[in-house]
Amino acid sequence: MNLDDLTRTSGEWLRGTGPESDIVMCSRIRLARNLNDFPFINRASRLERTEIESVVKGSLAGVEHDLSFLDVNHLSKLDRLFLVERQLISRELDNAEGPRGVAIAPHENVSIMINEEDHLRIQVMLSGLSLHEVWDRINRIDDQLEEKLSYAFSPTLGYLTACPTNVGTGIRVGVMLHLPALVQTKQIDKVFRALQKINLAVRGLYGEGTQAFGDFYQISNQQTLGKSEPELIRNLTEVVPQIIEYERKARQQLVNEKRQHLHDQVSRAYGVLKTAHTISSEETMHLLSSVRMGINLGLIDDLAIPTVNELFIHTQPAHLQKIQGSPLEVDERNVARASYLRSRLTNGKNLEDE
Amino acid sequence: MTCQRCHEEAAVHLTETVDGHRRELHLCVPCARDTGLTLPESPPKLGLDKVVQGLIVAHVGELVGELAELTCPDCGLRFMEYRTLGRLGCPADYQVFTRGLLPLLLRSQGATRHVGKAPRSPALPADRQRLRLRSDFRAAIALEDYEGAARLRDTLRLRSKDADR
Repeated sequence: MNLDDLTRTSGEWLRGTGPESDIVMCSRIRLARNLNDFPFINRASRLERTEIESVVKGSLAGVEHDLSFLDVNHLSKLDRLFLVERQLISRELDNAEGPRGVAIAPHENVSIMINEEDHLRIQVMLSGLSLHEVWDRINRIDDQLEEKLSYAFSPTLGYLTACPTNVGTGIRVGVMLHLPALVQTKQIDKVFRALQKINLAVRGLYGEGTQAFGDFYQISNQQTLGKSEPELIRNLTEVVPQIIEYERKARQQLVNEKRQHLHDQVSRAYGVLKTAHTISSEETMHLLSSVRMGINLGLIDDLAIPTVNELFIHTQPAHLQKIQGSPLEVDERNVARASYLRSRLTNGKNLEDE
Repeated sequence: MTCQRCHEEAAVHLTETVDGHRRELHLCVPCARDTGLTLPESPPKLGLDKVVQGLIVAHVGELVGELAELTCPDCGLRFMEYRTLGRLGCPADYQVFTRGLLPLLLRSQGATRHVGKAPRSPALPADRQRLRLRSDFRAAIALEDYEGAARLRDTLRLRSKDADR
């Protein structure tokens, strides 16, 4: 897999299809697994981590088609950040040291991290609300790997993980939701409190401790022990439609009560993105969020959702530098970002005098 | 950079010039101590681990004090170290520290028993033997017992996955 080629494409999970995809950007499940005959990563020597990597890598043949393996230990910081922005590796894998890697499927639906917090972190992502399909796929991958690897498993405690917060099923079931209307109508905190009460975690676009840029929120289970995988999935599939409903109502409320204001906000956001000559990542995310909602409400009709979804990712620092082909300082990035946005949003019409 | 004596990450980098000859040494902390280098007693550390441990003992009480010194024979992790770091050292820890972990699981997960998927084939006792051999191997390297380490490595090779089949 050539990382430079990836700058011209984007993951399947951004294509904006699948059930409820106006609000649910994607569904994701990850499984934490460890080998039974090695210490966990924080206790493993460099030599052992090399061995773990080679054992796991060896088991990948025949699992999914055309998995590409990337040796993360030998990737540049820029390439690692690029993979983080694409949600293919975690910040933890980026910041770790020593032998570690990731195997990625062609459409970026599947990524298997090796030597993160656990020996294996298997992830499957699909666009829209499609947790059952995601589970079927990841369960199959897990079965195939298990035929070749002996996992650390206890009949009473389930899959054994480096951190007991993942023990049992080792599963994290999550959906990434776009909730701009709940943010604008200041109802989002109420939603969070309700979710926390039923033991669901809320995170920003890039996981633990990150800000909710672009009004994207990831909602996922915290409990991993004492409930089966289908039960934990059901918890989410029961709650998520209620949040979707809530967001739809808030959008309708904005349309009914503040139509002019909303239309103005969306058009201005679109206008700025199409014409700015320097723009920060934060402002871009904020404006793209309005534009995305505007498209879904029929206020913008010459722009497709997949393009907007893609722009959320492609305007991030590492992507811009990969697209540009050179390292850029913050100011230079802001200029490059604006230029990239103008070229992507003008539908081939050249607004530039240049 | 890896240690010149074992394969751990080197943490001590020494350059000395003796009679005009420059010599560089890159070692991990245990190997550096073994060679007789006097290392500063971890000056950058603020002793936070101790503070955290103190807090845990103060808040969780006697049981932890008793459990604290419990050590896993496979990975050498002490229960108190786990409480400080938040990460376990190897699969065997779950058995060794059961008494300490169950109340914690009950509190954080609301359950102490797995329900759900299980591997189709049960774990092999040979896995546990390999886990122990690896730990002995690491210990031998740390003690510079290279002969012992070589023997252990041969045993590990003999008992590798492929040899099972």
